[in-house]
Amino acid sequence: MTDKENKYEAGFSSNAKKDPVRVVFITKKTSAKVTGDPGQQVMTYPHLLMREAIAFMVLVIALVAIALFWDAPLEQLANPLLTPNPAKAPWYFLGLQELLHYFPPLVAGIIIPTLVVIGLVVIPYFNVNVQSKPLWSEDRKHTLWIILGVLLALVLLLGYTRAWTVLVPTALIGALMLYSYFAAAKSSTKREYFRTRPLSWWIMTWFILVAVVLTVVGTFFRGPGWSWVWPWSPHAS
Amino acid sequence: MSEAQNKADGKDGTVASKTRATRREFLNEIASSALGIAGLGSMVVTYQFLSPNVLFEPPTTFRAGNPDLYPLDSVAFLQDQLVYIVRTEQGFYAVSAVCTHLGCITRWKPENNLIECPCHGSKFQSNGTVVAGPAPRPLPHFAISLTTDGELSVDKLEIVRADQALKV
Amino acid sequence: MSTPFSFQGALERLRAMRVWRSIFRRGPARTNRTRSLAIFGNLFLHFLPVKVREKSLRVRASYYLGSISFLLFVVLVVSGILLMFYYHPAAPQAYRDMKDLRFVVSNGVFLRNLHRLAAQLMVLLVFWHMFHVFYRGGYKPPHEFNWVVGVFLLIVTLFLSYTGYLLPWDQLAFWAITVGTNIISAMPVIGKKVRFVSLGGNLVGENALLRFYVLHCVVLPLIAIVLVAVHFWRVQKDGGLTVRENDDGQGK
Repeated sequence: MTDKENKYEAGFSSNAKKDPVRVVFITKKTSAKVTGDPGQQVMTYPHLLMREAIAFMVLVIALVAIALFWDAPLEQLANPLLTPNPAKAPWYFLGLQELLHYFPPLVAGIIIPTLVVIGLVVIPYFNVNVQSKPLWSEDRKHTLWIILGVLLALVLLLGYTRAWTVLVPTALIGALMLYSYFAAAKSSTKREYFRTRPLSWWIMTWFILVAVVLTVVGTFFRGPGWSWVWPWSPHAS
Repeated sequence: MSEAQNKADGKDGTVASKTRATRREFLNEIASSALGIAGLGSMVVTYQFLSPNVLFEPPTTFRAGNPDLYPLDSVAFLQDQLVYIVRTEQGFYAVSAVCTHLGCITRWKPENNLIECPCHGSKFQSNGTVVAGPAPRPLPHFAISLTTDGELSVDKLEIVRADQALKV
Repeated sequence: MSTPFSFQGALERLRAMRVWRSIFRRGPARTNRTRSLAIFGNLFLHFLPVKVREKSLRVRASYYLGSISFLLFVVLVVSGILLMFYYHPAAPQAYRDMKDLRFVVSNGVFLRNLHRLAAQLMVLLVFWHMFHVFYRGGYKPPHEFNWVVGVFLLIVTLFLSYTGYLLPWDQLAFWAITVGTNIISAMPVIGKKVRFVSLGGNLVGENALLRFYVLHCVVLPLIAIVLVAVHFWRVQKDGGLTVRENDDGQGK
């Protein structure tokens, strides 16, 4: 099947020895690719691509099934002269709106989100996050005093600003940290787990807990005038 | 030639500070500066383009009718203008109905004698003073005047002091 | 053993045709060489590495969170484009179009539900993906920059969701955006100007709707696509997905 006039025909019966086709030319340090231990490898096609295709199909089926029954809301026409009560942001911003209840817009709306973004961006550039040593592995007493100091300052600040929905999860994490400090080595797998968590883990878990609590409160526990309501009471939104 | 001169300066053992750029470096600097200015200029022009000069928003000066429409010690909410016309013994005030916290529209609650905001619970007196809630500033007062044919006129672009009242 | 029609036979004949071979030159992907070419020689797929580590394929490794986020984005683009055919970004016509989609347009309800559902899910998934990568240590060198790209993708996702939120032009949309843009005006020095340019005026009105529409349908998706491409590319160039010893499900 080799056509002598058409040299560019690849086909599936081309003779690789006679007409070699260069796929890729690799020398020692040609690409900017990071080399590392490859481990056991398989071909992307078909293994990864088939799995992605299956994931896509499962996702589409689930989405279509839900979308057939769960209707998106549509309220009345926008009226610039009438503010609904309460006026809530989309759920992923409700945590922020709850924070706005305690702090002025500049702090809760600009400064804190900016700090969060900057905090997230710089995570991989701090050595302490890269090494991920257990928090209590070195200088136990020294670390404990620092942690206690920071926790106390936070609790005092939050109490002073009456930011209860932030204070409660902070206190919970603080309690968990103390629990992890006093856990003797190899007491139980659960205690062992907390005992070996690095600082980055504690900070991120604290952040997630606060964000979740703020969002849940903003969604279910806030009614007209942003007053506290219990979700099961009639006028909660 | 100047390149060799620079290199020679270094090899003498003297402090090798390059006082003269090569022709290539000079042209590069000129070109980069020109590109930088062009880039900056582009951004300025784009920002100007995106900032509208003509707005189709409702007029900010409006008439509020005859003063006799408003009884003494009353607060009237003009919803389409988002202004409260407040009449006290001192005279007439035009108070903004937009909450100073985050821009929600407040409502007058005569049973509490307070202007209340539904969004975060800010409460104001009828003269705009904050009595509760996260609102950082009192509600601003707009300039209120009398037209030649005896009607109230409010200019929402002009903010006046809270103690200025229109005496009719 | 002559069968009247064989699918495989028809396929082979199709593949032997000259027109086919002028388009698809590599031949069926049955050898490692042709499988490599399927990735390496493909414009759309060459973001991916030719080989992947077997451990990274396990569900437990990544829970496919990143993949699902991207797939949700694809669903959003397709459903979004379809919705665009009936939507006028003008007030109050936009609201009437939402009603049209709901009551008049065939499958309009379904498409809008799909779009909104996928949007909410995508925000959730993107957050989950970020937290999961963090807890796995997938941000550690040499993956630092990819983490940063991911954070920017998170912000773009949030903005996409936020700009889309205004488009139905109902009370929910209008006041959510009013509050949000008033927060922006709290920025020192530039706050009021930023709010003015974002809204195209002093009020949330027709200009704001149009601007948010352009951001939602053109600007932010383009930025997202570019960042997603970089994100995928860096996964490959940084050495592939992070694998840990316990990814086969043994131990903790």
